[in-house]
Amino acid sequence: MGEIMSWEDWLKGRRWRRELGNRVAPEVIQRSRSSSDRRLRKLFKGRRGLPFTPTEKL
Amino acid sequence: MNARKIKAAVADISADTDPTRKAAKLASLCCALFRERGVELVVVGGSAIELLTEGAYTSGDLDLCRLTPAALPLRERQQIMGQLGAQGGPRSWQVAGAFVDLLGPLESLAHTPLRRLQGAFGIIQVAQPEELLVERVLVSIYPQSHPPARDCAKKLAAVALGGAMELDWKEVRRLASRPEYGILMACKALVREVANELKTKSPLDPNG
Repeated sequence: MGEIMSWEDWLKGRRWRRELGNRVAPEVIQRSRSSSDRRLRKLFKGRRGLPFTPTEKL
Repeated sequence: MNARKIKAAVADISADTDPTRKAAKLASLCCALFRERGVELVVVGGSAIELLTEGAYTSGDLDLCRLTPAALPLRERQQIMGQLGAQGGPRSWQVAGAFVDLLGPLESLAHTPLRRLQGAFGIIQVAQPEELLVERVLVSIYPQSHPPARDCAKKLAAVALGGAMELDWKEVRRLASRPEYGILMACKALVREVANELKTKSPLDPNG
C-alpha cells in the first residue's frame, strides 16, 4: 500500500480496472453537467472532456 | 526541471488524446514543479477516482489539493504554471488541453497512506481510496440520492474487491462509522451489492 506503483504497471492495469468497474456500473459514468460546464464545453467542443478510450483499446 | 524538459512534457501532454493518461501526465508534471518549490500536491476527487479505477467518470479538469500546510504566494503559483504556458489562474488554469484546479489544503480523515504512482515526470500522490469510497457513498445518499456518485463508489469497490487496487477495509469501516460520515450501514450495503455482483464476499460483513 505504501509502495510506489510504476508507470508501466499503472498502464498495464488500466484495462483490468476498467473491466472490473464495468461489471457493476455503466462503462461511462461521467456526470452530465457540473459548475465547470461552460469552460469545459468551450474547450472540448461541446463535450465535458476528451472521449474515453474504449476498453478494448486500453 | 529545465525549460527544455518542461516544453517537451507540455508538448507530450497536449498531444495525448487519452483523457486519463493525459490527466496522469499533467498531474505528474504539476506535482514535480510544485515539489521543486517545497509544495506537495495530491490528486483528489473525481480525478483521483479516475486514476484508481479507470472508471470513465472524470471530465476535462484535474483537481489537486495541497498537502503542505503553507500555500505558495499567488505570484509564485502563476510563475510555475506560466512555465507550462498555462492561461488563467490563480487557482484554475487551462494548460495542455485540460484544466488544472488547485483547490486548497487536503481534507482527509484517513489513516492509510496516500497512494503513489511514478508518473511520467515525477511521483503523483493520490487521495486515499478508503476515504474516496466512503465520501462517494455519502454523496450518493446525502443530501439526496445521487446515482453518479453511487456508480463511482461501486466502481471503486469493484476494483478493490477484484484485486486491482489495495484497499484497507478496516479503514473503510472506521471512516464510515465516524460521525463526520455516519454511513456504515449504507457503505456495507453497497459493498455487499458489488461483492454479490462479482460473486465474492464482502469484507465489511461479519462472515465476509
